[in-house]
Amino acid sequence: MNNYIIKTMQLTKKYKSFVAVNDVSLHIRKGSIYGFLGPNGAGKSTTMKMLLGLTAPTKGSFEIDGKQFPNDRLSILKEVGSFIESPSFYANLTGRENLDIIRRILGLPQNAVEEALELVGLSEFGSRLAKKYSLGMKQRLGLAGALIGRPPILILDEPTNGLDPSGIHEIRNLIKSLPDLYDCTILISSHMLSEIELMANDIGILNHGHLLFEGSLDGLRQNAMQSGFAADNLEDMFLSMVDKDNASRKQRAIL
Amino acid sequence: MRALSIELRKEKRTGVIPLMLAVGIMGAAYALINFIVRKDTLLNLPLAPMDVLLTQVYGMIMILNMFGVIVASCIIYNMEFKGCAVKKMYMLPMSVPAMYFCKFLILTVMLLITIGLQYLALAKIGITDLPKGTFELGTLLSFAGYSFTTSMPVLAFMIFVSSQFENMWIPLGIGVAGFLSGMALAAPDIKWLCVHPFVVMLKPAVAMNAQPDMTIVIMALVETTVLLFAGLWTAKNLRCE
Repeated sequence: MNNYIIKTMQLTKKYKSFVAVNDVSLHIRKGSIYGFLGPNGAGKSTTMKMLLGLTAPTKGSFEIDGKQFPNDRLSILKEVGSFIESPSFYANLTGRENLDIIRRILGLPQNAVEEALELVGLSEFGSRLAKKYSLGMKQRLGLAGALIGRPPILILDEPTNGLDPSGIHEIRNLIKSLPDLYDCTILISSHMLSEIELMANDIGILNHGHLLFEGSLDGLRQNAMQSGFAADNLEDMFLSMVDKDNASRKQRAIL
Repeated sequence: MRALSIELRKEKRTGVIPLMLAVGIMGAAYALINFIVRKDTLLNLPLAPMDVLLTQVYGMIMILNMFGVIVASCIIYNMEFKGCAVKKMYMLPMSVPAMYFCKFLILTVMLLITIGLQYLALAKIGITDLPKGTFELGTLLSFAGYSFTTSMPVLAFMIFVSSQFENMWIPLGIGVAGFLSGMALAAPDIKWLCVHPFVVMLKPAVAMNAQPDMTIVIMALVETTVLLFAGLWTAKNLRCE
């Protein structure tokens, strides 16, 4: 028996003739931080959107904690804290009021709002209207919305976008500490291996909708060494993997 | 009930509730001022006093209500699209059709309060300004119910349209186009034109007596139900990707 909390089986998403995600099978271990890596437009966000029921797969299926969409939609979403693409908020409400809406939907105690604000360092700006937040503050508010109530599964799509270097460092450390603190599983996407490398236990590399690699960071290091790259330079390994895939794609297109 | 209380909290600072109250107060003030200024002219019309009271000032009140409903429904969905808040709602364990229904319910109650304020003013005029013994409370209440029922298709239509477009100017434009086309089509006595929700709302304004037309009432109820269910179905099955 495996202990995968999220499992996708040949997940595919097509928009007319464009294939955004192609036969992707992910295996995310319970309690791990899974880095989902790929260049812009690789299909990371689309995969995450499918996991959250924001878009329906064209083919394939997935399981989250043994449950499936659409039958178990509400019970899955109760367990998942998410942050996809850009932060979502009510512009007419303050940061605190925005989190209070989420708290009420999730049926959490009142102190959950303050706890979430504190976690992302927004306590002193909680009473400011969300539309007046800077990009970094909106990003933090979005993260607070995902973290509120300590969900057992977190799906975070490029959560450090728009943050300054110290903010990136702070949020990275926070994300890294979450599995030990709350016993949660994190699926986090990024287009920078250097960032994922500092947080993740396992990684999946996606390019043009195809999963090029899935495994542990050590596995990727071994792969790098076998391919003649320095084991401490995974960024080059990642870029060459993507370039190689792009080149073979071009070759196929020419043929 | 929980969904409704959450929805009410979201309305904070959007102006939906003050807007509808303002429409009710403006309509009531218009009726009162109109009767102060034009009382003799109005009561000398060749119509029964109750018909004068209910049909002669209704045109303006109805237009105020119509624009109130158009703007309020645009606002009530625009706040969901403005900061992509609706996307977060899709990712939370919340029923999206319930959210749609709560918005429908809030606007319906606000319209009821608006019409209530306007008919309170009309009742005051009826008691103080109509010739003695001519004021009929039953007729006033039945016409109030008639104007509420005939306004509901526009409300249901506007919420449905507003829920489909992220850009608030599109439903607003559709609302204005609905009003203009409704004005052009309301006068002819062709029943099938009442499939147009704005024509249904305009019907009591072009009538010369205060007797509700039951065909119009039935059409209004059918249209409201169909549009409400279309909105609920869309909320459940279609997502903005």
